[in-house]
Amino acid sequence: MDERLFINLIPGNTFLDKLQGKTKVRIFLICIVALIATWDMRVILPFAVLSVVGLVSLKPNWKKMWGVFAFVIAMNLFNLFLLYIITPDYGLNVCGASTVLFKFTDFYVVTAETLWYFLVRFTKLMGSFIVSLTFIQCITPSEMAAGLNSIGVPYKICTIFSLAFRYIPDITKDFNNIKISMQARGMELDPKKTSLWERLKQNVIILVPLIITSFDRVGNIANAMDLRGYGKGKTRTYYSEHEETSNDKKMKYFYTFLLIVTIAVIVLRIVMPGEFEVWTPWI
Amino acid sequence: MTAVIEFKDFSFRYQSQQEPTLHDINLTIHQGEKVLILGPSGSGKSTLGCCINGLIPFSYNGEIKGSCKVVGIETKNANIFTISQHVGTVQQDTDAQFVGLSVGEDIAFSLENNATPRDIMLEKVDAAAKTVDMSDFLMNVPFNLSGGQKQKVALGGILHDEEEILLFDEPLAALDPAMGMTAVDLIDKIHKNQNKTIIIIEHRLEDVLYRKVDRIILMNEGRIAMDTTPDELLRSNLLKESGIREPLYISALKNAGVVFGADEHLDSVDELDIEKYRPFVEKHFEKVNTNHMIEKGEELIRVKDVDFYYGSRQVLKNVSFTIHKGERISIIGKNGAGKTTIARLLCGIVRPKNGEVYIKGQNYLHLSIREIGRLIGYVMQNPNQMLVKDMIRDEIALALTLNEYDQAFIDERVELTLRMTGLYEMRNWPVSVLSYGQRKRVTIASILALQPDVIILDEPTAGQDYHHYTEIMKFIEDINKNYDVTILFITHDMHLAIEYTDRSIVFADGECIADDLVYKVLSNDDVISRANLKHTSLVHIANRLGIDPEEYIHHFIETERGVL
Repeated sequence: MDERLFINLIPGNTFLDKLQGKTKVRIFLICIVALIATWDMRVILPFAVLSVVGLVSLKPNWKKMWGVFAFVIAMNLFNLFLLYIITPDYGLNVCGASTVLFKFTDFYVVTAETLWYFLVRFTKLMGSFIVSLTFIQCITPSEMAAGLNSIGVPYKICTIFSLAFRYIPDITKDFNNIKISMQARGMELDPKKTSLWERLKQNVIILVPLIITSFDRVGNIANAMDLRGYGKGKTRTYYSEHEETSNDKKMKYFYTFLLIVTIAVIVLRIVMPGEFEVWTPWI
Repeated sequence: MTAVIEFKDFSFRYQSQQEPTLHDINLTIHQGEKVLILGPSGSGKSTLGCCINGLIPFSYNGEIKGSCKVVGIETKNANIFTISQHVGTVQQDTDAQFVGLSVGEDIAFSLENNATPRDIMLEKVDAAAKTVDMSDFLMNVPFNLSGGQKQKVALGGILHDEEEILLFDEPLAALDPAMGMTAVDLIDKIHKNQNKTIIIIEHRLEDVLYRKVDRIILMNEGRIAMDTTPDELLRSNLLKESGIREPLYISALKNAGVVFGADEHLDSVDELDIEKYRPFVEKHFEKVNTNHMIEKGEELIRVKDVDFYYGSRQVLKNVSFTIHKGERISIIGKNGAGKTTIARLLCGIVRPKNGEVYIKGQNYLHLSIREIGRLIGYVMQNPNQMLVKDMIRDEIALALTLNEYDQAFIDERVELTLRMTGLYEMRNWPVSVLSYGQRKRVTIASILALQPDVIILDEPTAGQDYHHYTEIMKFIEDINKNYDVTILFITHDMHLAIEYTDRSIVFADGECIADDLVYKVLSNDDVISRANLKHTSLVHIANRLGIDPEEYIHHFIETERGVL
């Protein structure tokens, strides 16, 4: 059952896996903020490379991941394509120049600045995607809860994450059971025999018992948590959050450095905003 | 002995109800006692448990009269956290109470909430895991655990030395017979070794009595009907009157005309003074003609050499059996043995990897799930997972509508079904007001509407006490008798198999290990141990008296059914 989820419930064995939840959450947040905050390739590229290194170090199951990758790359390329269709000379707005390399028509020109911008944009989005993927792949929901808690998120909010991952498979199972019983009673869910609209309507019928059984379950879970003292104190500790290892200590220097870089990038952008958003090497 | 739980003139009414659920409860439980709270559904036994662990009044609102003290604390003046420090609860739903994402985390849950430093937490978790024999599973996720293992984890989670009272709410409900025995044994060991007060809420008396209890509190209609020793309760006739099943050995002896005296020990079949009863049993027992075969109708389903896999895991290995019209069959086996897969296979929801399934002589590969659904009906365990309509009438009509019959036919068939199932008077009731047992009945009716030849019922008696259980089973029995519908029970309830089926097909690890008359199967040692069943107490009596167990069980069944 757990194999179907894209996440791990039990930590793995690689370097990143073995770090504390706290460390993982911090590194992730810094990286993603840096990638979102800037259009400067000099910042984006190192972070993107870093995230690729992170992902590779996890030795993930590439076969499983291939589909997601293909989808994200395709979507990004499609996005760039649409941008180009609407404003071929986009580079002029963001880089401040227009060096024509090639002309389809007078309107559809290919400029070096547009290509550069597209490259930056692609790197930025792929970097954000890979860093998120790496994060999801190396952290368990409980570690995430512990990590978020360590940066000041109230633990009741953190619990929502771990509980969701705990019960999503159970709810999926309920859904399948209900579907089976409805099929046996004559509900036709075969795509070849019924229209999409019919099938959507049928699935709505399934939701009724699903909601009722889920509510039953929620009541039981809430009682189970109350009975074991959940919500008693202002703080709680985490079984899944192991002690700081020497690697965590080393990573502390590392992410402090990243943090300084990120803050510097943001501050610089606010204090000395450039004339154009995207830094271009030849301008 | 200090009193750890004291009820004085206590009564409780749920906010949503007119009448109190508990009346005039006066009860004292002492430190170190092991107490069974026994009673049918709706007797208030679970409500009483909720008063002890603090869910009442903190999670369920209502009106309390009188006093309830837990370790000297008046519960209504305290809060649930104070009480939960003293009372550890193992709930009935083993799945929902597993809050952690791994075994270790779940055992640690209460320690986490106490903000216990992690080094101390690890030690305590290891110790608790060892006590419940789950040390090797600390890093396992809940989805790979059996119901019994999840329950052990829940028990481990309340063994961190603060809780002096352990409360078990229907601990046997989700377990197969062998796991149930393990659970009862584990509870007993903890009671002996850790000097905790144990309170077990159950209606399966015989299974709990596998290990000694000090006292039984019998609840009925919100009152304490009896507060006494197991021996005295077994001697009385109060059990049957309250809708609780007597242990089989007690029923068998009573059937034989034994009247128990005041000083006899009855709570363990192995400690009975059997010689005293020998003359009665020997006089009563006669060999039933075991050679008579049940008349079989035409062949309906033939399963031939079927293999089935989930992914790479083989769940059915070379399974073959045949089902005839009008038969009553129990499919038994331990949790995870492939019973549910068999049901899904028969309904065509999953299809065999190798081998064939024939329905009325036709290979069912050409039939859609819907077409099979008209021949084989499937009633799931939890009625809430099946009911989708607001009105009973609409619920019963649903399968017919989905099968696109015309309206006149549907109306006629629905009325017939309502009358067959005794639901006609209730046809315009909303489903939401029905009790669990009534809902079950509606789900069976909704399947019967299609008039299938075979009905498969998955754990039809789960979560029901003896009284409601008997009612449902009588209902199904009538359908079988009057309309010649073949009934297939998927169950691990051996009482059900004995009393309401003729033939048992037993599964263990995906293989069909027995397919025979029920009394033959249940007296076969090899089958019992491989399928995680347990010997019924009848076998114990028979062995001690030197009677052939198979014949004794058969005789018992026939007596109970009123044949003899």
